[in-house]
Amino acid sequence: MTARNTLILIALATLLILVASPYLGLSIGNADIQHHILTQLRIPRVLFAFIAGAGLALCGMVFQAMFHNPLATPFTLGVASGGSLGAAIYVYLGFSFTLFGFDGGTFAAFLGSLIAISFVYSISRYQSGFSPETLLLTGVAISFFFSSLILFTQYLSDLTDSFQILRWLMGSLTTVGYRDILQLLPFVALCTAVILWLRRELNLLMAGDDIALSRGVSVQYIRYTLFFVTSLCVGAIVALCGPIGFVGMMVPHICRLLIGSDHRWLTPASLLFGGSFLIVCDTISRLIIAPAEIPVGVITTLLGGPFFLWLLIKSRSHTA
Amino acid sequence: MTLLLDVQELSVEIGNKSLLSSISVQFQQGDYLCVLGPNGAGKSTLLKVLMGIVSSSAGEIKLNQQPLASLSQKELARQISYVPQAHGHQLNFSVIDFIKMARYAHHFAFSDWSKEDQNALEHAINITNTEDFLYRQMTTLSGGEAQRVMIAAAVCQQSPLLLLDEPTSFLDPHHQVEVHQLIQNLNQHHGISIIEVSHDLNHAAQHSHHILALKHGKVLWHGPSSELLQASHLHALYDQQFVFATHPQTGALVALPSEMTQ
Repeated sequence: MTARNTLILIALATLLILVASPYLGLSIGNADIQHHILTQLRIPRVLFAFIAGAGLALCGMVFQAMFHNPLATPFTLGVASGGSLGAAIYVYLGFSFTLFGFDGGTFAAFLGSLIAISFVYSISRYQSGFSPETLLLTGVAISFFFSSLILFTQYLSDLTDSFQILRWLMGSLTTVGYRDILQLLPFVALCTAVILWLRRELNLLMAGDDIALSRGVSVQYIRYTLFFVTSLCVGAIVALCGPIGFVGMMVPHICRLLIGSDHRWLTPASLLFGGSFLIVCDTISRLIIAPAEIPVGVITTLLGGPFFLWLLIKSRSHTA
Repeated sequence: MTLLLDVQELSVEIGNKSLLSSISVQFQQGDYLCVLGPNGAGKSTLLKVLMGIVSSSAGEIKLNQQPLASLSQKELARQISYVPQAHGHQLNFSVIDFIKMARYAHHFAFSDWSKEDQNALEHAINITNTEDFLYRQMTTLSGGEAQRVMIAAAVCQQSPLLLLDEPTSFLDPHHQVEVHQLIQNLNQHHGISIIEVSHDLNHAAQHSHHILALKHGKVLWHGPSSELLQASHLHALYDQQFVFATHPQTGALVALPSEMTQ
């Protein structure tokens, strides 16, 4: 199947999921209540999940290309933990501000993400290049480090803040109305636009830094640009939905198997697949023990853990 | 002949380690220069500095009278192309996509594939004889095929100067000859200037025009290739005795490492 046809199929499946999922499990109450649930809860939630999933998948795709490693994602490299710490500190300090209409938590998370990626990047660079092992171990170390700081922040917080942080750390897409969507959409849209703009550069970066440079890519500049926009995107998602793990690793990897590595096709495919994947996970999380819900981060991590191990074993047998 | 490349007092340090010190060399358009030297002499580093992959710590490089440092990476790529040493990255592309990607330096963010791009692509494929495996994946190619594709991509980039880092090191004798013939063809018939890092003394002596011999990051010797095969030159370069013979087919002088220890 050509890349174009695969993409059309993914787009059709996405459309089906977008339309069908708000109606799943909609059975209680009269028509008025149902209408209200649909327009004020379900549809916003599905859109919210789509945007967050798309953003996470795109950022994962960028990391995998930049670090030449399927295991490198904002989540595994500690960038999401950095964002979480930023957001947790924001909750703990208790001051709230808005900037250009955007919630301060987003910027705190962005800052945290940016600090984390700078750490990972400089440490792995100092260690002469990006050996996959160094990179992942650095990410793990930074994740642990930030996680313990989050725990510390939580320990210092009072009961309400502490519970708020804990609940949010599990990752959730519960939303009412369209405000959260408007908070998230601009960041994901900006990130998508930059990634589409840089699709050729991403292809060349996948071939390795030496080749990319010799073809004329200003590797350093492109890398910093991508770090910046992905941190912004991950920061916004983490601040609003909590750290939803493994979407950024599974989705781009599956899309590569479906559509190949050319970012002209891979980018829209990851965007659509990531969005619908998170909608499906969220629908499961809301139906599986209905009327109660489990946080969507639990579902994605339950799927992602084994996937991560599978990738790890597969890449080991490749290099051995 | 016009001066293409002028390297003056080039030094490279990484950390506290000096990789190249005070290298000065001039390179004419149309020239074919072989860079020789023992492992760790700084040969690959020199190519990487020219390609903007490693930055120099002192000295100046001029390309067509313009300081290299003043060129953007894209401008540089339109002047110089590079075939790295066989490397470990898994290249998940089809051959044709990989060659096409080499047109990057001639593109803007949303430019289309032009007639000029297509001509460059077809030209590169013809010269390198790669049309038989254009639609295979890079990961499935043999060493010889992969090297031809790497050269095809560099040719498709249409830069007047081509840098090659040990292009035949991992190839069997048949493919070594094939790749060497390809490089000579590029130099003689397509006007591409070549700088090649090599360990193949006899190839360098016979086919290149000039030799740059590096040792411990310094220029040991720089001169015409016809003067390379002398016992004193080679001993100084490799700390190894060589014996000489004439090639029964071509009558050319060839050097062989001596079995006797000194």
